Amino acid sequence: MSDALLLPPVPLPDADSEAYWESLRAGTFAISRCSACRTWMHPPLEACRRCGAPTALESVSGKGNVFSFIVVRHPAVPGHAPPYVIAVIELAEQPGLRLTGIVDADPKAVTIGAPVQATVAEIGDSGMFAPRFQLVAS
Amino acid sequence: MSSAIVGIGRTAYSRRSGRTTKAMAADACRGALADAGLTMAEVDGMCTFMVMDSAQPIEVAWALGRDQLAWANGMYGGGNLVADQIATAAAVIEAGICQAVLVYRSLNGRSGYRFGTIDGPMQVEGDGQFDAPSGFLVPPQWFAMWARRHQHVYGSTAEDLGHIAITERSHAERNEHALRREPLTMDEYLAGRFIAEPFRIYDCTSEVDGAVAILLASEAVARGTNKPPVWLVGSANSQSGAGWSTWDDPTEMYARSVGPVLWDRTGLRPGDMDVACMYDCFTYTVMATMEGYGFCEKGEVGSYFAKGRATYGGDVVVNPHGGLLSEGYIHGLNHHYEATLQLRGDAGVRQVPDARLALVTAGGGPFGGANIYAKDKP
Repeated sequence: MSDALLLPPVPLPDADSEAYWESLRAGTFAISRCSACRTWMHPPLEACRRCGAPTALESVSGKGNVFSFIVVRHPAVPGHAPPYVIAVIELAEQPGLRLTGIVDADPKAVTIGAPVQATVAEIGDSGMFAPRFQLVAS
Repeated sequence: MSSAIVGIGRTAYSRRSGRTTKAMAADACRGALADAGLTMAEVDGMCTFMVMDSAQPIEVAWALGRDQLAWANGMYGGGNLVADQIATAAAVIEAGICQAVLVYRSLNGRSGYRFGTIDGPMQVEGDGQFDAPSGFLVPPQWFAMWARRHQHVYGSTAEDLGHIAITERSHAERNEHALRREPLTMDEYLAGRFIAEPFRIYDCTSEVDGAVAILLASEAVARGTNKPPVWLVGSANSQSGAGWSTWDDPTEMYARSVGPVLWDRTGLRPGDMDVACMYDCFTYTVMATMEGYGFCEKGEVGSYFAKGRATYGGDVVVNPHGGLLSEGYIHGLNHHYEATLQLRGDAGVRQVPDARLALVTAGGGPFGGANIYAKDKP
């Protein structure tokens, strides 16, 4: 039995993000990319914030590096048991292309710059999926 | 600019007010009116900022017996909007739309809607939806993430943050209105429990219930009020939608762009400030914005505080009331209250000697701004 109060927050998809979450549900980590100037952007946008052209999701490698991280000790947000690591990951596809995610690692093992690989995992038992990150050898 | 703060009011700050935000807002506004010697009939504008956690200006005006206002603005947002909102009220006055505007912030920040905690389960919309899976949804986590990056790039330390918390607490010891007045030592700071590493409990603001009101008026009105007017010299703001993971360089905050604009616009410099009410939702906000406004170089804030440059007898007194860290989190409007007291010379035992100019900053991370106030009309 899961305690409802311990369920993690879940995303509420909208017209700009629906395809992103659907892709993850199908097991593919894909990011919004401009069809014209080829700029990657996250969060996804209907049109490119640089040139205004339409965007589409494209698969990414899931490779990246830890840009910064925290070790959550105080359970301010439900769904995860402290201590755990949240990192800002910079994806390999483009400088500055970043998103947050849980890093499945001993907090002591996480450093800024550490290479990571994304996997796609269910958010609790919500039926929605999101990228999580594991440390990999550099 | 030609507008001035002519009245200030506030409620008690507590952990459980037992009052509505409307009642507290009205109470603080009555205080500001009494302070100025004006009546509600002379106020034609009201504004606030909130995250749907507080009463709207028209409701508060009604509670104060004012049937209608010429301008009533409830902006959606946090501490990043405080300086902006007061400057906007001044612009409304200087455009001739209003003659006197009450700016208030009223919140049950401890007993009601708490910024630092989320009670599950919930669905997260907007840009926050992408941070829902990791639960990266509360300010202590956002600012800690940025602080870690500063530590990595500039070698700043836990002790550096500690000196900020300790200095502010030492100021709060002389402020009867402050929530936390007990002395804080470095050993106690370092022994504080972690919230989100690298932040300890003492790096975080004190959530409170309460309200503050600032009454801003035209020069014509200001010349006839009870207390010496405190003049708004200038304002600069920078609001970005970059968010907490996409902002290019978390070792810097909005202040990197606001600082140069503010100094250029006012012809003043950091060294001219007697008081600096630095927005301090977290210690790191003070660190990054002190650098951004040019009080010292990157990585030097810890030693700036450790050497006493941020307290009485130093370069500038930072948060003489104890700041949001120790006085309490009235979302930054209490900083403007304190600056007014200091520039009037009414700050009692914590008066900064001969205070003539005050910087008051607002917000942190990607968005915020600052106002400069003066004892003498600029």
